[in-house]
Amino acid sequence: MHIIINIFAGAFLLMGLVFFLGGAVGIMRMPDFYSRLHPAGKLDTLGIFAMVAGLVIYNFHHLSVAMVLLSIKMFLIVFFVFLASPTATHSIVDAGMRAGLRPWTRKKEKES
Amino acid sequence: MKFLGFVIVCLTGGLLLYGTMDLPDWGDPASPASTHLSDYYIEHILEETRVPNLVTAVLADYRGYDTMFETAVVFCAGLACFLLLRDFRPKKDRYFRHIPTGVMLHVKNPEIRIIPGNEFEHMDREWVPSDRIIKTVCRILIPFIQIYALYVVAHGDFSPGGGFQGGVIFGSSLILMAISYNLKTLMKRVTEKFLSIFAATGVLIYVGLGVLAMIMGGRFLDYGMLAPLVPWDPGHIRALGMLGVEIGVGIAVMAVMVIIYVNIVSEGRHDEGL
Repeated sequence: MHIIINIFAGAFLLMGLVFFLGGAVGIMRMPDFYSRLHPAGKLDTLGIFAMVAGLVIYNFHHLSVAMVLLSIKMFLIVFFVFLASPTATHSIVDAGMRAGLRPWTRKKEKES
Repeated sequence: MKFLGFVIVCLTGGLLLYGTMDLPDWGDPASPASTHLSDYYIEHILEETRVPNLVTAVLADYRGYDTMFETAVVFCAGLACFLLLRDFRPKKDRYFRHIPTGVMLHVKNPEIRIIPGNEFEHMDREWVPSDRIIKTVCRILIPFIQIYALYVVAHGDFSPGGGFQGGVIFGSSLILMAISYNLKTLMKRVTEKFLSIFAATGVLIYVGLGVLAMIMGGRFLDYGMLAPLVPWDPGHIRALGMLGVEIGVGIAVMAVMVIIYVNIVSEGRHDEGL
């Protein structure tokens, strides 16, 4: 039983790491403001979900009411990050559009 | 001039670094702080105050004077912001929208009074339509942030938290409302009068608890003397006193945060901004 729990927890943590790594690489490598926000908003949100899911599964080692409450609180964090992080990204993109920043295109790159 | 500034910065920095050589090492067991004070706190706090969070006990009980004047400093910051920035002069350029027709009015004469109501509504100079996604999500999040702030204040003596942190979280939830809707929406719900009264009330609660202890026959801020007021739980009176003080701090910090934000963002006019 413990081995299964460990395997699942490790798998979820690894998945979260992969998402976070993808997000970090995306922020570095993407060509402009809008496309950089894309990995920042999406991959970080999913990454934190996978990480916390892994930790919650790890909590099953000591099954008690306190641990279940702790797991629920951890999922509450994920819930609020799910609401807040994409909204923050959206508002930054919105502000960029209203300030008049043009999205990147391949044509524009050739001109400059 | 730049070179002179550089020399002064280097000299001052060097002196400060030289001064740190006399300070005790990081975690040095022979330093004055850890030979007398820390040991006393660690050994006696639980039996003297019955507060499991040592930091809160030191902050709100053993060093109650310090924290009281810290709260007064926060209050003074809000007061200074109000006195320096608040601008009561009528605005020269005002914009109104005639609601039935949708016509915009640009009023330059300050003597013409237009009362916003069913016919006219105020418009901001740099008005942008509010985004539905941001508004909806903030409307969902703000109550949770406020409940969390109250939780942080109330749990100050059991877990990390306290009045300053909880007050800042509560104030930021109100600021979030101003950002996601607009400043007028916030000022309609949380008026300037309300904020000023609350900022003063917070400090007054703190000082009032201290004076109450004096009236009950103890020294200033000696919460142990308040025990007759809570006959059902006199053992935890110090924890309760700290909770009362934390609530005062939280109220003051919350109000001052919003006062500073509103005054800076609207250049003291309290009508529009961000």
